[in-house]
Amino acid sequence: MIEMRNINKVYRSELVETRALRELSQQVGAGEFVAITGPSGSGKTTLLNIVGLLETFDSGSLHFDGEDVSRLSDDARSRLRNEKIGFIFQSFNLIPDLSIYDNVDVPLCYRGMKAGERHRRITSALELVGLGSRMRHLPSQLSGGQQQRAAIARAIAGDPKLLLADEPTGNLDSVMAGQVLDLLQQINQSGTAIVMVTHDPHLAARAQRSVHVVDGQIAPEESGTLRAPAALAMPEARARETR
Amino acid sequence: MSGNIRQVVSALRHNRIGALLVAMQIAITLAVLVNAVFIVKQRMERTSRPTGFDVENVIAIASAGFAQDFDYVTTLREDLAYLRSLPGVIAATASNSVPLGGGVGVMASLAARPNAEVHSLPGGYFEVDEQGIDALGVRLVAGRGFEQSEVEPPADSITARMPKQIIITQAFADELFPNENALGKTVYDSVDTPVTVIGIIEHMQAASADVAYVDRVSLVPRQPSSVPKNFYLVRTEPQQRDVVMRMVEGRMSTSNPDRMISWVRSLEEVRRRAYLADRNMGIFLVTITALLLTLTALSLFGLATFNVNARTKQIGTRRALGARRGDIVRYFLLENWLISTIGVVLGCVLTLAASYWLTRKYGLPRLDLIYLAGGVVGLWVLGQIAAWQPARAAAQVPPAVATRRIA
Amino acid sequence: MIRLYLRMALKSLGQNPGLTAIMVATVALGIAACVTVITMFHAMSADPIWWKSDRLYAVTLDSWDVNEPPDAARPHLPPPRLTYRDAMHLLESNIPERKTVMYVARTSILSNADRPPIAAEARFTRGDFFPMFDVPFQYGGSWSVADDTNAAPVIVLSKEVNETLFGGDNSVGRIVRWNDREFRIVGVLDTWEPQPKFYDLNRGHFEMPEGAYIPFRWGPQNKVTSASGRCWKPEPLDSYEDILGSECTWQQMWVELPDAATRERMQDLLDTYTTEQRKSGRFQRPQNNRLTNVPQWLIDQGVVQNDNRVLVGLAFAFLAVCLLNVVGLLLAKFLNAAKTIGIRRALGARKGQIFAQYFVEAAVVSTLGAALGLALGALSLKGLSIMYTVDEATRGGYRELLHFDVSSVVVAIALAAVATVVGGFYPAWRAARLPPAVYLKSQ
Repeated sequence: MIEMRNINKVYRSELVETRALRELSQQVGAGEFVAITGPSGSGKTTLLNIVGLLETFDSGSLHFDGEDVSRLSDDARSRLRNEKIGFIFQSFNLIPDLSIYDNVDVPLCYRGMKAGERHRRITSALELVGLGSRMRHLPSQLSGGQQQRAAIARAIAGDPKLLLADEPTGNLDSVMAGQVLDLLQQINQSGTAIVMVTHDPHLAARAQRSVHVVDGQIAPEESGTLRAPAALAMPEARARETR
Repeated sequence: MSGNIRQVVSALRHNRIGALLVAMQIAITLAVLVNAVFIVKQRMERTSRPTGFDVENVIAIASAGFAQDFDYVTTLREDLAYLRSLPGVIAATASNSVPLGGGVGVMASLAARPNAEVHSLPGGYFEVDEQGIDALGVRLVAGRGFEQSEVEPPADSITARMPKQIIITQAFADELFPNENALGKTVYDSVDTPVTVIGIIEHMQAASADVAYVDRVSLVPRQPSSVPKNFYLVRTEPQQRDVVMRMVEGRMSTSNPDRMISWVRSLEEVRRRAYLADRNMGIFLVTITALLLTLTALSLFGLATFNVNARTKQIGTRRALGARRGDIVRYFLLENWLISTIGVVLGCVLTLAASYWLTRKYGLPRLDLIYLAGGVVGLWVLGQIAAWQPARAAAQVPPAVATRRIA
Repeated sequence: MIRLYLRMALKSLGQNPGLTAIMVATVALGIAACVTVITMFHAMSADPIWWKSDRLYAVTLDSWDVNEPPDAARPHLPPPRLTYRDAMHLLESNIPERKTVMYVARTSILSNADRPPIAAEARFTRGDFFPMFDVPFQYGGSWSVADDTNAAPVIVLSKEVNETLFGGDNSVGRIVRWNDREFRIVGVLDTWEPQPKFYDLNRGHFEMPEGAYIPFRWGPQNKVTSASGRCWKPEPLDSYEDILGSECTWQQMWVELPDAATRERMQDLLDTYTTEQRKSGRFQRPQNNRLTNVPQWLIDQGVVQNDNRVLVGLAFAFLAVCLLNVVGLLLAKFLNAAKTIGIRRALGARKGQIFAQYFVEAAVVSTLGAALGLALGALSLKGLSIMYTVDEATRGGYRELLHFDVSSVVVAIALAAVATVVGGFYPAWRAARLPPAVYLKSQ
């Protein structure tokens, strides 16, 4: 579904040039659950931003669903994000002035959907994440885990083909993190591909496949080493976290 | 779109004090703007009323004789002969008063029948000679001007009886004789002296711009009295006025030691003085209104900028969730429009209250609602202009801001 | 503690010089507009002889046409001047401690043999005029009662006229020519510029006093006509005697009444007189005889123009907008500092301390604004007096009127205090109320 070929990305400021990604190539298939791991500053988030069409790159090519999206206009990229991609952020990024319901409504509004259809999708998404009874609450009235579940509801309400998660459990304690990850797996099993950035190898273990990024490149020796079935990896990860 | 409005309203509800402060500013600004523009327009209409005389080319000269043996009649004759001899002068007359020169005192009442039967109408009163019509540059629409033989010598008392002939303005004629031709009719002064209307001039403003009957003027053939001073009105060829003024000032101030030339002014200058208060009020209102509009625009700009800066992360998130740049611009313009709308709704109430107060207390005419409509539209547009740059800046926030760790 | 707050406020303001400048300028604009207009308003409506306000009264009688009031805009008022014969009759009364009737001559030229003649207005009045209105003398003094009675050709000059004609020397005893007749100078006034010119509001409210004063009786004896007057009755006015006997009003009358009792007796005299006159067909309007003190006189004669009242309202609307603007800016600024406030609170600052710190910041803005506003106000008053100057040569009018006095400074300080409280209270309160914990979280 996603095909990246020889992608280079350089950040330039007045003083320094940072090569964030070097000749990076990678594929993600439909319905896959891929974890991206790596140390701080390795280019994980840049990779996610490029896959999520939040950022452009300097050279190389990117195909999404068979379509070359390397040279799309800003508006067309917005449209793609809106219709095919869902985002989950480390700090949730819920809009503080809007209720949970209205937050989930935001991407649907931009899609220009009819009100009835929007209402149906918002309620079913919120019920799926277990917040059916808190739709009128403001984000500040919820716990961190609840906030992230609301953010997940917002990400999936539009039925995306791809869900991008950037350290989705980074701000959560282990219990809440487990719940969020369970939810992500559940979503993945219903057919949505997930690409998740995390610096924690044990979380990454719950993905079908893990990609290790070092210095803007995919580290070949680690690629695919943690291909153990998710079910197997899970107890170990839990044990360590609760220790 | 409806979801959009709901989101904006919801965001506003959480910042309601900030929004309300700006809305109140807009309300007051609207009230001041609309009423100020209305007042200024009235003043401008007042000051730009047609004068009927040749404002550009007439010079007025004030002369006061004071010596015990001052020979007024000779002075008049010599002054007029000198003025009429100057190159570029079309005509010159002596007069008791200067149009728009101020003073309500120079007036006379006329009636269509003797005073016992009807109420007389006050009007401006000018004593001129046979060159009076030409010297003022007023347009005769019926009858004739004065003959030299009709011009009487100066009268001694404050309220002497009128001469036998009179020329009046069309406005005066219409009020004295509604639906009748006034030419040739007899009118009566305040002591019932019968006077014949021998001519009608199209229009001329009286000495005081402030009276309701500024358009009622009568001209009579008589030389003015010497007390407190007499005036000369001199009309020149176009472009010659300033040259003649300089000649007159140089010569007349020294030609006769028994009198003083108090001043020499163009009627343009005389008119400027007559409307000084109106002009100044206009300057005040325009200045204050302009400052207010600037302040309000700055406020709207500031509020929008603050909102954009405070919501950078939110904007990035919206972009990540699929908002196009246009959606972001629209969001902030919509927010601004809602604040403006609250402001103008409050402002309409305030404007009408202020207008009611001005009407009640100071007898100003009732506000024409078209001004209010104009003000509302104007402030809406001003608000959108003020928010345009911050909204554009918001649209430039890159969507990658959403994944940035430190916001 | 207050010094710490001040230092923190100055530091905070210094970190955001642009925003600070906008806030100070906004407060300054609002205060400048108010101070300017209030100064103008104050100067116009001020009582220039307040220390004698309970003693000085203008005398007016309603001798006007039965069919219409003398002034349609103020129909409850009698005409501002008296007829000559009424004035002469009332002058005979000895009820007032001091009294005068007076008028200004139509033509008035003063000359001294070796200098060019000058036009300066002359007032015909009684010698009481000077002590009654506390007029100061530089040289000499008023003329005697005998001079009043005998219509003596004596004259008092203003300081200005004395400077023009006699180079400012002590000219008492010398001769000056008025309208080419000889007068002996008995006094020269010191600087005297009552604003408004309360004792004669018939031809401009803020004119300078006259340049020369002559015993009243000399005027009518020599057929000197008045510069202003109004008539209503259709009657022949061919000779000077006709005017003296007419219904034309042209005499201004003022009396000094030491207490309420004499005031009552004076009122009785007026009422008795007009009741008497009624029998001979005069005074056909409802009885309306008035003794008006100076403050009321200024109101009745419309000294404060409607335009100026509108401007006062406008200035306050403007100040309100300026304050709203500053409140908005301060609020945004303070709430933007939520994180810092959270840290301070976490470190132990009490709500009151946070409030005080931000309130002091608002006060500093208002104080700077008030100082700048005063300077701006002084400038705009300068501009105003230029705008209202008809021409450079003439004195009087707004030019002398518009200057700062203590009251302007007081007004500015009061407005600054109001600005601080109104503009600073709410934002500082909001800042103090921010919960300490929420803003310490990363988002």
